[in-house]
Amino acid sequence: MIENLVEQLQTYAAQSNSRVSVPRKNETLIEVDQEHIKDFVSHLVNDLRILHLATMTGLDLGQNIGIIYHFFQDENTITVKSTVPKTQPTALSIVDIIPGAILYEMEIHDLFGVTFTGNPWINQKLLLPDDWPADLPPPLLKTTKPAEIRKRLHLEVEQK
Amino acid sequence: MPHRKVGAVIPEMFRQMLEKPTTEAYPYKPIQLPDRFRGKLDIDPEKCTGCQVCAVVCPAAVITMIDKGTRKVGDRELPVKRPLFDLSSCIFCGECVDNCAFRALELTKQFELATPNKADLIMRKAVEN
Amino acid sequence: MSDESKVREESAGLMEYSVENLVPFGPIHPALKEPEYFKLILEGEKIIQVIPRIGYVHRGLEKAAESRPWVQNMYMFERTCGICSFVHSLCYGQAVEGLTIYEVPRRAKYIRLIISELERIHSHLLWVGLMGHWAGFETLFMWVWNDREVVLDLVEAISGNRVHKSMNAFCGVRRDMPENMENRIVERMKFITDRAHYYREIIDTEETMLARTENVGNKINQETAEKLCAVGPMARYVGLRHDVRLNDPYAAYDEVPFDIVTRTEGDVRALLRLRLDELVVSANMVSYAVEHLPEGPIRVKIEPIIPAGEHSSHCEAPRGEIFYYVKSTGGRTPDRVKSRQPTMANIPTALELLKGQELADLPMVLTAIDPCFGCMDRMSFLETESHKQWTWSGEQLRQYGIKHYFPERFKANYSKFKEAH
Repeated sequence: MIENLVEQLQTYAAQSNSRVSVPRKNETLIEVDQEHIKDFVSHLVNDLRILHLATMTGLDLGQNIGIIYHFFQDENTITVKSTVPKTQPTALSIVDIIPGAILYEMEIHDLFGVTFTGNPWINQKLLLPDDWPADLPPPLLKTTKPAEIRKRLHLEVEQK
Repeated sequence: MPHRKVGAVIPEMFRQMLEKPTTEAYPYKPIQLPDRFRGKLDIDPEKCTGCQVCAVVCPAAVITMIDKGTRKVGDRELPVKRPLFDLSSCIFCGECVDNCAFRALELTKQFELATPNKADLIMRKAVEN
Repeated sequence: MSDESKVREESAGLMEYSVENLVPFGPIHPALKEPEYFKLILEGEKIIQVIPRIGYVHRGLEKAAESRPWVQNMYMFERTCGICSFVHSLCYGQAVEGLTIYEVPRRAKYIRLIISELERIHSHLLWVGLMGHWAGFETLFMWVWNDREVVLDLVEAISGNRVHKSMNAFCGVRRDMPENMENRIVERMKFITDRAHYYREIIDTEETMLARTENVGNKINQETAEKLCAVGPMARYVGLRHDVRLNDPYAAYDEVPFDIVTRTEGDVRALLRLRLDELVVSANMVSYAVEHLPEGPIRVKIEPIIPAGEHSSHCEAPRGEIFYYVKSTGGRTPDRVKSRQPTMANIPTALELLKGQELADLPMVLTAIDPCFGCMDRMSFLETESHKQWTWSGEQLRQYGIKHYFPERFKANYSKFKEAH
């Protein structure tokens, strides 16, 4: 149990220009810039002992790609959001703080095209096949249509 | 340290030898099905009014509405449609049965649906009459 | 894996290895239920490192969910996996219900608990049988799967189907419990408990099982398991008290009493004892819930348009923690759905467990994490890899298959075959 979790987070967030909000009971949402993300995650893991990272989600937000870190601690949900621009999709990896995040970062790299510097396996494909065409954009962006993926990968089914 | 004992399975082995086999004798004997079993879909054409709710809620895109002409209501001409079922895609979830306001649909207990000809699984009862 | 030297450069941070020490395990292998590819780096018979490659049954569910209405997505996500189908639709349903203003009725919460626990019992029985199968003890496999039929008959009597139960709806369940089921369920749960005690005795004393499971698997400590984000039985068998039903109760888990099971030895035998004990706890929970079922409605009907917002939810599947995140922009279809299954979170732990083990223990250790790769991958591309010489793409494989099975069709489409090769 962590007393005054929201107040502690707000005090820490004030140093780095991050925004803390409480959308629902037992849920805390924090928006952090990319340059402060490693300090913030390190503060959560090492100082506050919130150790369980459930997963990392990628989001297509139009001009940017959002990266969401979901942490759980007893009945509290702590969601940390960060964005990278689509023109330069590079983010910082947290694998040296939480080694278990390695596969989640590889998945976002395959499906959204975001490169995480510092992840040793980032250049290996996790989910996509070896013959994924180089000029086809990552599959989960809104601009990539399923019909186009099917056509480029020769997955059309002949209709009788 | 666990105590190693030889022959923990021997009593069970004797018990199994004296029991009757648990394999069901299907297809030589009929199989027992519970009341709520969800098998092949069936429609009562008398009750169907063509409201299209079943086609909208189906998760597997099984139902297509076919035009069957028009009817006069007051001084307007409204289209009349009836559903056509392609049961080879059906997932037997029962959404259409739950949402039909006229109780025209029912999931029967028939489950032997394998056929070499896919056209056998298209149900035209509501469309042809 | 088309260029070995390229692989060596890219594995910066891992040790250098040469082609002679690399043994591919999978994707199609007799010891695997589902296709996965593990590159094993060996030294003699000992495994030094394992590099995974997943995605062989990936079906594109996250992309497909963005073009389907909310209710149809519930049926689609239920079909991610056969063994844990109910908890997928439950977690998705809870994530979407958090965006609406409606509450779930109390009777529906109890029915959700009963079906979830019946699913946990059948999944653990399936797994115990599989461990017997990979150890060579086929008789145990047959006995355990015979007892599993008892649970599947109960599920069929309640929901109409053995595997995909389709019982969940938004803010409720679709069908009520049948009349006069209470005595039957309590009697069957007692039968399952007696059988579980008997299998526990076999595992503790029978020489075959002890030789295959005692001290097998790299021992990891609690800190490593936490840093690698292990979930479910993989966290509980080293002593961590990680259970979503206890830490963050959902459905009716705050009203039905239970205690979680943890162990401290770190080998495969501890996992067997842990899952059999959990089975007994689940059977007691089902009996309690059936006897204390409250009266009331089972469902609240909601509109097909979900208000805008984001919400996430997690549940305890038989294999660990399952997680769903849902984002809505106020329309008839979701904007983004993310699902993370427990096997994905357990893969780094599994790789850690394999270091230093013999090659012959590989199937036992891999099955001990209870993998469900059908859950883990969510998009499908035809892919095949043949080691060393050449790699075929999906189209090449397809044309080869047509040539083999349908020679007359192949002749008509010969131009397509030439183009692909």
